[in-house]
Amino acid sequence: MWIELQNALTSGVLIGLAQAAGAIVLCLAVVMLCRFFAVHVERESLISIARGLVQMVFVGMVLALLLRGDLLIGALILLMMTLAAAVTASRRLKGVAPGLLISFWAILAGSGVVIGTMLATGTLKSNIAVLVPVGSMIIANAMNACAQAAERFRANVTTHIGQVETALALGATPTTAVAPYVQSAVYASLLPRLDMLKSLGLVWIPGVMAGMMVSGASPVYAGIYQFIIVAMILAASGITGMVAVVLMRQRTFSAAAQLILRQRPQTAA
Amino acid sequence: MSETASELIDTTANIERSRTELESAAALPQRASSLETRHLSHAAGGKVLVDDMSIHVQPGEVLAVVGASGAGKSSFLRLINRLDEPTGGTVLLGGQDYRGIAPQQLRRRVGMVMQTAYLFPGSVAGNIAFGPHQRGETLSADALAALLERVGLPGYQDREVSKLSGGEAQRISVARMLANEPEVLLLDEPTSALDETSARGVEELVMSIVHERRMTCVIVTHNARQAERIARRTMMMRAGRLAAIGLTAEVLHVD
Repeated sequence: MWIELQNALTSGVLIGLAQAAGAIVLCLAVVMLCRFFAVHVERESLISIARGLVQMVFVGMVLALLLRGDLLIGALILLMMTLAAAVTASRRLKGVAPGLLISFWAILAGSGVVIGTMLATGTLKSNIAVLVPVGSMIIANAMNACAQAAERFRANVTTHIGQVETALALGATPTTAVAPYVQSAVYASLLPRLDMLKSLGLVWIPGVMAGMMVSGASPVYAGIYQFIIVAMILAASGITGMVAVVLMRQRTFSAAAQLILRQRPQTAA
Repeated sequence: MSETASELIDTTANIERSRTELESAAALPQRASSLETRHLSHAAGGKVLVDDMSIHVQPGEVLAVVGASGAGKSSFLRLINRLDEPTGGTVLLGGQDYRGIAPQQLRRRVGMVMQTAYLFPGSVAGNIAFGPHQRGETLSADALAALLERVGLPGYQDREVSKLSGGEAQRISVARMLANEPEVLLLDEPTSALDETSARGVEELVMSIVHERRMTCVIVTHNARQAERIARRTMMMRAGRLAAIGLTAEVLHVD
């Protein structure tokens, strides 16, 4: 294990750190330029740059240690990532209890179904060196989809309280009363991923394809594989968005079909 | 007159009688129910909004609810429709505790017209058919036309709701509520967001329907003159509590 780590630290690490220093200098130059527009992000930028670098070096070291691990270790890493993603996404669910659980189940459902399908069909190898990076991409996108769906659903319901309660007052079920907002929330979670698919190859060549080409894979196969990854990201986002919104909807109403998700405290009238 | 002709006349008379009965039933389809609140209370965010309210409204009676802003009038109405859950006490509809009635069924029986019309995007017809659609029923074209005729907007079926005036929108919301054939009608300042002419028109329309269908009605209003015009009895709320209830002139005079 120690030899693995030593190899990881010596092979190209110094060159990498020198290149990272160049990138940091450019970032800091942009931060200084921002001051001319009265945008002061010096402190935040320094913290973000430092955190990003330390985190990525740490992840690299961990992966170096685990590269020879089996599927179980890979699954555990992905589970930890899912938990971290749920914590991040749950910040958009403040006031909806239990926000963390909703995010966790939604992200787990979306990324779990997709990663499981990819493993079952052989699209994704159980080799931890492939599983973790590809899995993390899917989890990260599921996290964004969860946050986007939750945010849109909450915003729509809280700005349409009158319409929702009017529907309830006319005898509608909670499901019917918020149906338009469920629809727009799921759509909101899919839209960035749909744009991603549309612009694939035209506006951007994603990292997986670039990495495969650098390591000598056929550009055509790399392109097809990249398409598969983005399509799977779309699928994971859709499942995550739907599960998140359905779980949120359940907690938007009381057992007596009363709207309990509110933007502001109630006042007498 | 032959026997056949006599039978024909009898049959025609029977058909005419049945038709009259049907029309009568259509005009008065409700089983007007009494409404009673028993020690009804509601607190939210550490604040008591409705405090120990006990009232009884007879079948077919119109009761006005008056009080200053923040007195708890709308909160009281929301409790009756069970849009909010009482923290104490209960409501009896026709003598039955409303917790024993499924919320969707209760809200169909207790119609509510809010201060703002809150029409759903789309056509007038879609809005009016909303309530029956929730029960898996289809509102017939004739019934739709009759409702629009009744609220003074004949031929509005295909209009987009976004193109309606405030007064027209409120009339459509009344028709939408009527399509559910409620037994009790709750009106939460239904004319306060309208200009004077539209407000008077909507008030006359709603009250004529209430009287014609003998509906039990509770109307929240901040307008004392409106209370005098429409309700024999009025209750006054103050700080969430029942301050007075009795004949409208007496309650308003006391204040």
